[in-house]
Amino acid sequence: MIAAVAPETLRPTDLAEARDAMVDAGRGRSLVIRGAGTKATWGAPSKPALVVDTTALTGVVAHDPADATATVRAGTPLAELQGHLAEAGQWLAVDPPHPDATVGGTFAANDSGPRRQRYGTLRDLVIGVTLVTSDGAVARSGGNVIKNVAGYDLAKLLCGSLGTLGLVTEVTVRLHPLPQVRRTVTADVDADAATAVVLDLLASPLVISAVDWHANTLAVWLEGRPAGVADQTRALHELLTRHGAAGAEADDGDAVWDAMAAGHAGEDGDTVVRAATLPSDLPAAASAFQRCLTEAGAEGTLTSHVGLGLHTARLTGGDADSQGRFIAAWRSAVAAVGGHVVVRRRLPQLADTATIWGPDPSAVALMRSVKAQLDPDRRCAPGRYVGGI
Amino acid sequence: MGVEAVRAELVRTLPDDAIVTHPAQLRTYECDGLTGHPVVPALAVLPATAEQVAAVVRSCHRHGVPFVARGAGTGLSGGAQPHADGVLIVLARMRRILDIDVANQRVVVEPGVTNAEITRAVAAHHLYYAPDPSSQIVCTIGGNVAENAGGVHCLKYGFTTNHVLGLQLVTPTGAIVEVGGPVADTPGYDLRGVLVGSEGTLGIVTRITVRVCRTPQTAKTLVAYFDSPAHAGEAVAAITGEGIIPAGVEMMDNLAIRASEADAQVGLDIDAGAALLVEADGPAAEVDAEFDRVLALCRDAGATHIRVAADATERAQLWKARKAAFAAMGRLSPDYFVQDGVIPRTKLGEVLGRVAALSEETGFRVANVFHAGDGNLHPLVLYDASKGESEAAGKVAVRIVNMCVEAGGSITGEHGVGTDKACSMPKMFSEEDLAVMQRLRHALDPAGLCNPGKVFPTPRLCGERPGPYRPHPLEAAGLAERL
Repeated sequence: MIAAVAPETLRPTDLAEARDAMVDAGRGRSLVIRGAGTKATWGAPSKPALVVDTTALTGVVAHDPADATATVRAGTPLAELQGHLAEAGQWLAVDPPHPDATVGGTFAANDSGPRRQRYGTLRDLVIGVTLVTSDGAVARSGGNVIKNVAGYDLAKLLCGSLGTLGLVTEVTVRLHPLPQVRRTVTADVDADAATAVVLDLLASPLVISAVDWHANTLAVWLEGRPAGVADQTRALHELLTRHGAAGAEADDGDAVWDAMAAGHAGEDGDTVVRAATLPSDLPAAASAFQRCLTEAGAEGTLTSHVGLGLHTARLTGGDADSQGRFIAAWRSAVAAVGGHVVVRRRLPQLADTATIWGPDPSAVALMRSVKAQLDPDRRCAPGRYVGGI
Repeated sequence: MGVEAVRAELVRTLPDDAIVTHPAQLRTYECDGLTGHPVVPALAVLPATAEQVAAVVRSCHRHGVPFVARGAGTGLSGGAQPHADGVLIVLARMRRILDIDVANQRVVVEPGVTNAEITRAVAAHHLYYAPDPSSQIVCTIGGNVAENAGGVHCLKYGFTTNHVLGLQLVTPTGAIVEVGGPVADTPGYDLRGVLVGSEGTLGIVTRITVRVCRTPQTAKTLVAYFDSPAHAGEAVAAITGEGIIPAGVEMMDNLAIRASEADAQVGLDIDAGAALLVEADGPAAEVDAEFDRVLALCRDAGATHIRVAADATERAQLWKARKAAFAAMGRLSPDYFVQDGVIPRTKLGEVLGRVAALSEETGFRVANVFHAGDGNLHPLVLYDASKGESEAAGKVAVRIVNMCVEAGGSITGEHGVGTDKACSMPKMFSEEDLAVMQRLRHALDPAGLCNPGKVFPTPRLCGERPGPYRPHPLEAAGLAERL
């Protein structure tokens, strides 16, 4: 057996070097794009000859607080950007569970956290991108203004593409004001009751920022002006009481949400599987999770962004075979209610496209055409994406 | 001839009344809301199902015939302008609401359903469809998807792209595929995000899943009057600068106020230099606190007087006046161009000053009515076509949009590029930017038959001369000379 050769790493420091790195002097080598590496195992494994490391493409290029927009280089750590923006009372309204992630990596994975409930993901917040393709084209789409319909919205295409279409070197984002106050209210409820509460919440005039459920605890995040949050907290308690649940205000909101984030992110050695359903189908996803876990002989926890219908299984025990059985069984149960399952973090043995991505989507032929147009030599993370793209 | 071959095929698959060939009937479709360059299509069809749309597209593809989709024809940039040698696919018969999921706040509709019908269908459940273009009573959701329609409330609630979850698409080669869906994070590239706003150049949507939102507990609306648009602009900057994101911030200058008042008669102050219409919505206590700050900031910015809508009826009246503003211009001028540029919000005063100077210089009156909160300007250039002023007025409109780009903005915020602004695209994008977008187009429409001649500049449309010089990103970053 021939030992695997470690890929060469290129670490561009500006756009010109980034373009050179992507073109790789026409040598035709396959590559993966890497930021902080927090989501390096997302997607199927790709065995690149080259790593294009974005961590030297850093810095806030522009931040106009009055316009509430900023342009930032892709390799900038998200936490660093948030620190910069906070000085002006603003933030980029995305809170993924990977604190060390770069802005570019969060964008390429379309990663998000609990407050997606209110603000959406980077898909909804990025208003301009600069893309470098593997054949050296440097293209921008969008611009610097929050409202703009000129030309194709390449940012949407690239958001969540896991670096399979090219390198995003820079994004321009829409910013939000930091909320004045925040409250976290928790209640002990099972999956059925949690779903009933959340559907009632969504049907009510309350405007919540996040709602997660984990280990029979439902947590609701309220934020805004002091008077508004106080009023909404009262209304939330009343709603919980109507459902026979007792709401408690968390003294340490951070601890509650850190625990939720751990359930969504997992750690090295875990396998993390994300299911998506309609919000009303949490009970189906949760009961199937327990049944499939037991039957497969795997161990793990379930954490759900209930209002979004996004449920994360964090597998912390069982071997690759039992985890593989769990994934197949849970996928089939979730598909029965119209949902889908994708593997994120994983044991190295869980490597094939069908296990990670599930069945090919209806539009896979169009996706292959897009890949063929933007990365004609299939050099960007070949095999990593849906359908073996 | 290709179209004749398509017609001969379609008479076997479509009902008789779904095929329009009579010249007088075809003329009905000669333009959309951009009326200056009518083109009669060679053939128009009115399919009733996705399968029929796919049959039409496959036939066109087989015979190399261009095709264009059309909804209500309210678009302002010529996106639904027919092709003289092509087929116009009219989606007016696909107007069923297919499913309403109240608990999960999702609605599934066919493309010919109007924007306002969605809200009507769910209003009893305290739900509404958030994007609200001024034409919402007649414009269709299919057209909204094509244009990524905005509206007065999109500053806070987002655009069509933020509210469309899934699409059934007839691809430009005639396949029927699903893109996105009612469930979040469908695996694969976000083609839904690419299709929304692609102006009908990447396929025809035949079913749309949208999310609907809970109606806010409270909404409060005010009109603040200022002696000039510049002062009103300062109020906008103060409001957004404090981190307030109102549900809507609309500005009208004196000309626009006069026209709207003459039309709607809601008691607007026709002597004011500018009016700012601000709405706050959400949970009651939050809105009360926010609205008090807006009132204070308007006063600080020099509001001469402020009218707060007393109830829902008065609120509706004020919005009616705003939404009637374009149509009301007919009272001031026989003809007008509606412009649709975007600028960074902080440049509002500067750009409005330049527009006023341009008006002075050229002698054309320019009325301003626009979404001030997101910097989306709608200057209306007033002219009289019967006096041969069209061309000169058109040049004024183009110069205004150039000012927007120079200020760091965009050539279009919500009306789209279509044929109207295809030749302005090089002002915003380099050749390389446009070439990459064309690669994406080619991926979905390899034969180039789906709404050709829109969005991208062509020699036929714009002449052979290259667009104005636009620095490459590498140059802008100071890293390279012209590549």
